[in-house]
Amino acid sequence: MHPNLRPGERFPDIELPDHAGNPRRLSELVGSDPTFINFFRGFWCPKEQAFFRVLTAFQAEVEVAYARIVSVSVDAPDVNAAFRAGLGARWTFLSDPERRYLDELGLRETTDTLNHPYWPASFTLYPDLTIRSVFTGYWFWGRPTMEELRQDFRAITREIRADWEVSAT
Amino acid sequence: MNWMWFAVVQDGAARDAYAAAPAWCLDGRRAGVLAVWPAEHRPKVPAVKVDARIVDRDGDRAELSLVLAPPRVRLLFDDTAVQQARRDVLAGRPPRALSTLLRGDSIFAGAVTVDPAGDDPFARIFPARRLTIGPGLFGRVPAHPGPDIERHGSGAPWPFPTFDAPVTDQAALR
Repeated sequence: MHPNLRPGERFPDIELPDHAGNPRRLSELVGSDPTFINFFRGFWCPKEQAFFRVLTAFQAEVEVAYARIVSVSVDAPDVNAAFRAGLGARWTFLSDPERRYLDELGLRETTDTLNHPYWPASFTLYPDLTIRSVFTGYWFWGRPTMEELRQDFRAITREIRADWEVSAT
Repeated sequence: MNWMWFAVVQDGAARDAYAAAPAWCLDGRRAGVLAVWPAEHRPKVPAVKVDARIVDRDGDRAELSLVLAPPRVRLLFDDTAVQQARRDVLAGRPPRALSTLLRGDSIFAGAVTVDPAGDDPFARIFPARRLTIGPGLFGRVPAHPGPDIERHGSGAPWPFPTFDAPVTDQAALR
C-alpha cells in the first residue's frame, strides 16, 4: 500500500466509471458526507461476498445517516452492476478494468498474479477525502466490523456537523 | 436555490416560465406543456417543487415517466411507500435525470423521471403517465451516489445531494 494512504493524509481523488459506465470522481460521490470506500477483489471471491452481505445490511442505517459508501474493483461496469443488483446494494460501484489506480495506490493483490485484482483495503474518509482509518482486509479479520464503521461515522459526523450538540439557549 | 416550481399547464400558461416544453402521450395526443419557474417566481397555476438540477434549457427531447399525486391526496414524503420507491430507484439502473416533486416541505406530490432505464418505482404509489417532451426543459444529472434516501434539508426535493451544494452548472455536466 502506498505510504501516503494513512490516517491524516488526503485520499487521491480518483475518477473511474460507475456501474452504469458513467465517469465519476470520488469527491463528487463523497459530497459533504463521511464515506466508507472499499477496494475488493471481485464478485467471485467468497470473502468479498461475505463482507458485502454484511455491508448491504448495514446500508439500512447509512441511508438515513448522511453518509456514503463507495466500492471499487477491476471488474467491468456491467459485471459490477450485476454483483450490485444481486446484493441489493444501493451505493455506487466503481470499475477499474484498466488497472489505472492499482499501482498508484499500491493496492495490487500479490497472490493473484493472473487477474491482478485490487488488494482488499478499505478506508473511512472525511468529506475532504482526509483518511480517518485504514483497514487491511487481505486476511478477512482485518476488515472493519460494522461497529467500527459506526464509530468512525460518528466521530467524523461529530467533527463536521456544527449542530451535533444541542446548542445552549 | 436548490428547487424550482413545476407544473403541467395548457398552451399559453407557460409564457412567463423559465423553461417549458410541449408534451405528448405515447399515442401522439397532446398532453399540455411542462413548465418550470424560479423559486422566487411562483406561478399563478398550481405548482410543486422540483430539483433545479434537472432543469436545462439546452436539454434534449426526452421520454418521461411523470407521477402526480391525485388532487386532494396528501401523502407524507417520509411515508414508507415513498422511502421504498427511493430505495428502488437507487437499486436500479440510473435514468438520465430524476426528481421527486414536493408540495410544501413535507408532502410527496409525485416524481419526474427523464429517460427512465426501467420501471418507475414511484408508479407503484400514484398513477404514472409516459410522455414524450420536446427539447429545452430537462438535462442530464449524474446518478445519486447512494445509499442515502434522506433529503439534505427539509423542503429540498430528493435527491438534491448536499446541505449546501449550489445548483450545478448544467453545461459543466455535459
